[in-house]
Amino acid sequence: MTHLPWLQRLHRATKSPSGSGAPPSSAPDRAAIPAGAVSLIAICVTCAILIGCESMLTTKPDPADRFDEPVVGLDNGELGDFQDGHEQFRKAFSIREGLGPVFNNVSCASCHSGDGRGLAENILTRFSRGADLVPGEGGPQLQTKAIPGATAEQVPAGVDVSYRLPPPVFGVGFLEAITESTILSNEDPGDSDGDGISGRANWVTPAGYVPADEPGGGTAPRVGRFGRKASVSSLLQQTVEAYHQDIGMTTPQRPQDNVNPLAPAPEGLDEAPDPEVAGNHVADVIQYMRMLAPPVAGEMTDRRLQGEGLFATARCNRCHIPTMRTGAHEIEALANHQIPLYSDLLIHDLGDELADNRPDGSADGREWRTAPLWGLRVARDFLGGDLLLLHDGRAHSVDEAIRAHGGEAAASRDAFLGLTTEERGALLDFVESR
Amino acid sequence: MSPRVAREVSIVASAALAVCAIAASGLVLVATPARGATSGSVAKPPAVADPETPYRGHGDAFSYGGHGELRFGHDRQAGVSNPDWFSVGQAGGFVEARLHPRWKLALKGAYDRGQDDFTLERALVEFKTGGPLRIHAGVIPAPLGTTNLSHDAPACEFADRSLVATDLVGVPYSELGIGIAGRAAKGAFAYEVDLVTGFDDGIVMGGAGGTRIPSGRNNYGDQNGVPALAGRVVWSPGGGSELGIAAQSGRYNRTEIAGVTVDQARNAHLFVADAASSLAGFRLFGETSLALVDVPPGLEGLYAERQWGASVEAGRTLFDPVFGGWKKSRLTASVRADAVDLDARAVGDSKARVSASLNLRHTTHAVLRAGWYYEVRHDRFDNRIPFAGLTLTAASYF
Repeated sequence: MTHLPWLQRLHRATKSPSGSGAPPSSAPDRAAIPAGAVSLIAICVTCAILIGCESMLTTKPDPADRFDEPVVGLDNGELGDFQDGHEQFRKAFSIREGLGPVFNNVSCASCHSGDGRGLAENILTRFSRGADLVPGEGGPQLQTKAIPGATAEQVPAGVDVSYRLPPPVFGVGFLEAITESTILSNEDPGDSDGDGISGRANWVTPAGYVPADEPGGGTAPRVGRFGRKASVSSLLQQTVEAYHQDIGMTTPQRPQDNVNPLAPAPEGLDEAPDPEVAGNHVADVIQYMRMLAPPVAGEMTDRRLQGEGLFATARCNRCHIPTMRTGAHEIEALANHQIPLYSDLLIHDLGDELADNRPDGSADGREWRTAPLWGLRVARDFLGGDLLLLHDGRAHSVDEAIRAHGGEAAASRDAFLGLTTEERGALLDFVESR
Repeated sequence: MSPRVAREVSIVASAALAVCAIAASGLVLVATPARGATSGSVAKPPAVADPETPYRGHGDAFSYGGHGELRFGHDRQAGVSNPDWFSVGQAGGFVEARLHPRWKLALKGAYDRGQDDFTLERALVEFKTGGPLRIHAGVIPAPLGTTNLSHDAPACEFADRSLVATDLVGVPYSELGIGIAGRAAKGAFAYEVDLVTGFDDGIVMGGAGGTRIPSGRNNYGDQNGVPALAGRVVWSPGGGSELGIAAQSGRYNRTEIAGVTVDQARNAHLFVADAASSLAGFRLFGETSLALVDVPPGLEGLYAERQWGASVEAGRTLFDPVFGGWKKSRLTASVRADAVDLDARAVGDSKARVSASLNLRHTTHAVLRAGWYYEVRHDRFDNRIPFAGLTLTAASYF
């Protein structure tokens, strides 16, 4: 049996080959670098390690700059739940664990960089034919990956297609805690005040598996608040559908595998028993996302104060409402907070350029939910220096995103374009510091 | 410099470092006069139980032994401590029985922290011919580099194996097979060629998050009925120097499941090169590996088709003996730099680590080891996640 690693061979090499007590064969080498000097260096290095333990053993990044930090004020039990959920959110599934048969990625964290947005390679393709989600043709989402033996989906002909970049997941607990009445208080569907802005709620019917006691659940239509078109009212539904559509993992809520209906995989290909994700793990992930804190906004400099004023002057703040107040929530740390999300969570007509011409819930093909602006300050840190704004990530800067606005936002866009270069810079600096 | 360019520069630098280390070792090899066979990679155990070896036993017929490792660690990820401060690194045993001067049975099994499982590392029968040729069959340690052939904790310099060993080769990696091994040119060259079960489809089916070679280890059976070919050639000119080239190649997947054709035949190739030598009193060791995997079309873009890694380490004896009263004691220091790229086409999905270790050996086969490591992982988004730790390990044969 071999138990002769290189160090033992070194030992042999530094001894007489015959082991007869003759001078070590490597004596000249030892003389080249005295053992005492090497010892001193080794001891100094060790001391430096011990003295500089904090930096030598990694340091905690500033929580204000992260997307995966818990909100302030959680109790110990909630923090434990947060850790459990964090683990599940990051868990990458293998095919033997049930990944697929068709899917887009292997974990939640694989699409949400640092719990923020995804990259262009993570873009999801939604398709439908009008309001028909064409499940018989693979709708409503294209799965571009398939396990061996299964066939990845193709976009069928004649459907409406919309590309969606995975949105950030931080702060969704706060969004959930905002009452429907608070969101509806900002509606102006008929533009009664004549300002050209007519936001309205996207009323959606929760999936049948979302119980009435779950936030956003029940059988009656609820105000949608999650997703690019606010087409989902419940975090439970958002999470279960992501497991099912994005990762190809079954849950107690959706225990049937998502398959390519146009090229069914052979029976027995997916050997993992259903549900592949346990109900408590689904709950862990939901609790984790609920408790994710948004990054802290940047310091307000004079330039940013000027930008904030211009943001209001251009009426950007009519949709990107700076703060909203949360109501009651089972997680006390989320309840009754004024949160700086810069969104009204309503859907607005943003014009032809951004239109995907694909209805989603009660939202039509030109309507999009006002995107929260929080987290923009550090978004580049998790996207390779890029920003990837708007629903499909087409805008690489706030300036590009503003210029793409139309419809109800056309007046604000024009006001922005009418500013001086210095003023535009101040406004952009303010927005990118949120 | 953009992050992508910086990363590519670092990869090229790492590759250059590995190549230079191996080349340097090769130069030392060339400069070192041959002294005959001293290679440890295919060395045989002593026939008689020897107090200076891990083996205990009774005469020529039977020898046995065991080894274990306890690891105390203060490990942190991005400033957050890992609560798992204590673990068993390794615990295992081995026996050898000489049925005849030419016939040997060998068995070795161990729990290994790197694999987090109990593994049958060796269960073979070996026949020694009259010449330098040996024939073996059974569960054979894959001849994929020095680390896989010699990885017992008491004999190692670091608390944790290199990233090449853990993430590419999957040490400890053994497989069912039959093969030959031997020496040539007065022991200066050693070789081993095996027909083995090879990897299974765990390479893509069992890997969480993508292609993972170690998930395709299959010690006990052949999933597709097509043997793989594994082999290693070692040049050992003497002085403890050694240069080894190894490879394993073969089909890894199943083309049929329950009688239904699900895929075409797909191959995985793993290449490992390692070199060891000494220079200016320092012992150098380098190991590099490249994996090429034919990935099914439905997984392309997400599952890696090419992975590689390199590891370079240097060590030196500081005191020998450490104390006058401990005649066999030694204090050694070692440093290591290693890196793996788990998807050569992706921006991220890579790891790099530096390690330092002080080893106090009271006897040859027992070590008290203090170590430090700093590891940076990059996820597929290229987000940087730092890990580091201080370790104290105790390992011994018994």
